[in-house]
Amino acid sequence: MPSWPANPKYIGQSTLRIDAEAKVTGRARYASDIQADGWLYGMILRSKWPAAKISGINLDKAMQVPGIKAAVKARDGEFTVRFYGEELAAVCGTTKQACLDALRAIEVKAEPKNEFAVREDDAIKDGAPQVWDGVANVTTGKLRETGTVDQAFTECDAVIEGFYTTPVQIHNPMETHGNTVSWTDDGVTAWASTQGVSSVRDALSGALKLDHSQVRVLTDFMGGGFGSKLGATVEGVLAARLSREARAPVRLMLTRFDNALAVGNRPSSFQKIKIGAKADGTLHAFEMENYGTAGIGAGADAGGGGGGADIPAPYIYKVPNTRVKQSVVAVNAGSSRAFRAPGHPPAAFGMESAMDDLAAKLGMDPLEFRLKNDSNEVRQREYKIGAEKFGWKEKYQKPGSSPGVVKTGIGCAGAGWPAGGPSRRTQGEAQINPDGSVEFRLGVQDIGTGTKTVIAVVAAEMLGLKPEQITVRVGDTNFPPGPGSGGSTTCASISPTVYDICDKALQQLQTQSGIADARGDNWFAACKKLGITPLVVSGNWIDGLSTRPAYGVQFAKVEVDTETGLVTVKKVLGVHDCGLIVNRNTLESQINGGIIMGMGYALYEERVMDDLSGVVLNPNFETYKMSGIGDVPEIEIVLLNMPERGVIGIGEPATVPTAGAIANAVFNAIGARVPSLPITPAKVLAALGKVPPPAVSQT
Amino acid sequence: MKAFEYATALSTDSARELVADHGAYLAGGNDLLGLLKEYLVPGPDILVNIKSLPGLGKIEPGKEFWTIGSLVTVGEIERNEEIAKVFPGLHDAATEIASPQIRNVATVGGNLAQHSRCWYFRHRDTVCLKKNGDLCYARNGENRYHSLFTGNSCISPVVSSLATTFAALDATAIVLREGKEAHMSMAGLYHRAWENPLAHNSLDNGDLVLRVEIPTVRSRSAYLQVSDKHAFDWALVSCAAAAEVVGGKLKSPRVALGSISPVPHQVEAANSFLDGKTLDDATVSQAADMILAGATPLEHNGYKVPMAHALIRRALLKLKG
Repeated sequence: MPSWPANPKYIGQSTLRIDAEAKVTGRARYASDIQADGWLYGMILRSKWPAAKISGINLDKAMQVPGIKAAVKARDGEFTVRFYGEELAAVCGTTKQACLDALRAIEVKAEPKNEFAVREDDAIKDGAPQVWDGVANVTTGKLRETGTVDQAFTECDAVIEGFYTTPVQIHNPMETHGNTVSWTDDGVTAWASTQGVSSVRDALSGALKLDHSQVRVLTDFMGGGFGSKLGATVEGVLAARLSREARAPVRLMLTRFDNALAVGNRPSSFQKIKIGAKADGTLHAFEMENYGTAGIGAGADAGGGGGGADIPAPYIYKVPNTRVKQSVVAVNAGSSRAFRAPGHPPAAFGMESAMDDLAAKLGMDPLEFRLKNDSNEVRQREYKIGAEKFGWKEKYQKPGSSPGVVKTGIGCAGAGWPAGGPSRRTQGEAQINPDGSVEFRLGVQDIGTGTKTVIAVVAAEMLGLKPEQITVRVGDTNFPPGPGSGGSTTCASISPTVYDICDKALQQLQTQSGIADARGDNWFAACKKLGITPLVVSGNWIDGLSTRPAYGVQFAKVEVDTETGLVTVKKVLGVHDCGLIVNRNTLESQINGGIIMGMGYALYEERVMDDLSGVVLNPNFETYKMSGIGDVPEIEIVLLNMPERGVIGIGEPATVPTAGAIANAVFNAIGARVPSLPITPAKVLAALGKVPPPAVSQT
Repeated sequence: MKAFEYATALSTDSARELVADHGAYLAGGNDLLGLLKEYLVPGPDILVNIKSLPGLGKIEPGKEFWTIGSLVTVGEIERNEEIAKVFPGLHDAATEIASPQIRNVATVGGNLAQHSRCWYFRHRDTVCLKKNGDLCYARNGENRYHSLFTGNSCISPVVSSLATTFAALDATAIVLREGKEAHMSMAGLYHRAWENPLAHNSLDNGDLVLRVEIPTVRSRSAYLQVSDKHAFDWALVSCAAAAEVVGGKLKSPRVALGSISPVPHQVEAANSFLDGKTLDDATVSQAADMILAGATPLEHNGYKVPMAHALIRRALLKLKG
């Protein structure tokens, strides 16, 4: 059985990103920076109706706009659009302005439908306009029941009921979606902002009816994906078609406006929860009815587990008597896609809120209540370490007992991420040159998480070199295939693969050089013995060096102004496990990002749909609010290093418990539950009973 | 974006002449660029760069009043140490506006003249009242950011933090209109938006804000706002208060609120009530009641009432020093 080095030099330490300088100086070229020879701008025309029959699209006038080189329809013939922002056509031209002008020149013959439903509560009503003709908006729902729930509730000493809701969260990676595609007689090259060069290659070749071997996808640097960049998607196929027509590379990067409409989102949830416990605090009965929307799609094409709106319940807890019913609601809005830990942040918010509400009813400390009911050993350890660090015992006071106008509160919540394990088909290769230089090539991609650095760290450790001596190349379908960067699987996939490559390389070097141990000081001498032919070694993922799942808990401290409703997060402490720590600073960076994103989910982010016009009302960062520098609190991270478990991914679990912990801290501060994310000043004031009812509507 | 000409004006007269009937002045350009990109206004046929106009970029202290030129940037107000002492409310308002990058180019004139931030007005595919459409989508729609008071069917609020503060300081905007200098109070500068859904303020096309004069009679001032976020976010409600305090008693007090009405919301009866009063919890609470009397909360903006109440009380109590 292979095992990680016992006294590592680099593994578990902090190595600066090997591409830090390239990124900071701007030398790094992201997908959106690519300027292929003779490239053209590409842009997409989108439906301005939430529901319409499209009977014709005329591109003639668009083609007459000076500078326009090609225009294509998204679909031929008559078709139906089902959300505001659905793709209709695309153009490419020599300037951005030419494209903008051309989009306005396209004539669309449309028959808008006056009836549509963009909000969950409208779509579930009897007689609601159907998003898909002849298909009910609401799925019948799956019922899952264990034990005897109704009777169990009668056996409980404390029961609470709550209606916990979470909004649709829009995918907003810093780099918008898109790519540059060049289609020549030799095939297609796509420089894509993607989490999966292989999946984009497969999807593009499928859509364009080309052999896989004719499509090459490159992703040198990309600016975040969070689950929404795993396929070629519409913008990839349209860019390719435009490129073929125009016989030039086409760069089609979406605008922030586009991103708000059509690149996916986290489904909403409307969780009606009833939960009960015995007097000693043992959970005894749980019932949840949940619905949420995945937009127009409850699609299998969403990939990565983001298709439906179901959430795990009763999340990380085991309740002997449990009844869960969930359904998905179709609305006339952009489809969901996998979103950083699909299903988990809403599940953690709902369940962890219910846990604190029940703890309050029982008169129990919510942390004690968790320790009693959460049987997971890792989280038990994490809660205890966290409580100590956070000063839980000293800081905890009963809900609402904080004095004054600005009240402080603390809360905690847990996460379990079942994935995070490896993709077993991961492959890679290294080329060791006679001069001692070494290059690793893996068909994985670095989505900003530090994948390249992880490869360098593991390789340096194994070969006895320094990380900066390792050249790392990723993001190319010409390299041995790697996994898509989703499900927090990347680190656990590539680390054992690099281990295997190094292991084989050292054996081969020993054979060829006659030097028993080619590592470290002997490296250059051993390589020199290769003569004039570099050594190329392939490897793949091997068992015993990685595992899953990952567990984490977070603690939050907030201040709530009870007169203005403003919530200020003062501190978040994350205690996380991800097995063997490979590179500490990029790991901490992931957790920082997860917490900051979780905070946005807790307090700011929400897609707002207008039911009259059917548009997304906040398709920009002015009104789609995300955590900013003024909002981010002190973040403290404690990592459980467990080398014996091997490598586990952390990307997703880091963002799961944040909203629940913050929501519970708000509850602890003001003694009233804000059961709905985001927790805005308006909702805090409403929870405190301070908001007057609407005046009689004037028109 | 519609094609336009571009010219740089070197005098206010030539600026006015160049802008003619269908042009637009360009200073910081923050608001203008957004309007043009989204086709929210009929495209101007000429942009007249006014950044080189002489004399409009100065902050001039004075015994009776200070003069702040319309080309002074929000960042310059924020960094002016004398302003922080003489008009602390104005300083605080400036620090809350947008981001440092925007404050460095945003001008006083542009901040006062900015258009509505209503998300229906700003949306490229909704034709609301303010864009000459038939209805206000917000009234029965998503109105969490909208007005508690209005004199017409549009409920888009004024969001200029400087206007809120200038109103409390009883500042006057001097506007070049038809070759003459018109003096407008903040109430006057926005009155048209109160009665006309198409208006964002009382300025005609071609009117040019030259400067703002702030009387020095109120040595105490305060500005507070609450936003969803802690930085770079619009105020849900903003409140400014200003007064002289003589022997513990308020003299010439003024309170104004932003983001709850198409105009800086001021109630003269409340100002009179406060005159001569000592600042205590009961007094400021009573004043807040008077200022918010008649508020008409809609489905989603009722929270602004208690929020505004708190800000009025706090801003007034801050005047104690």
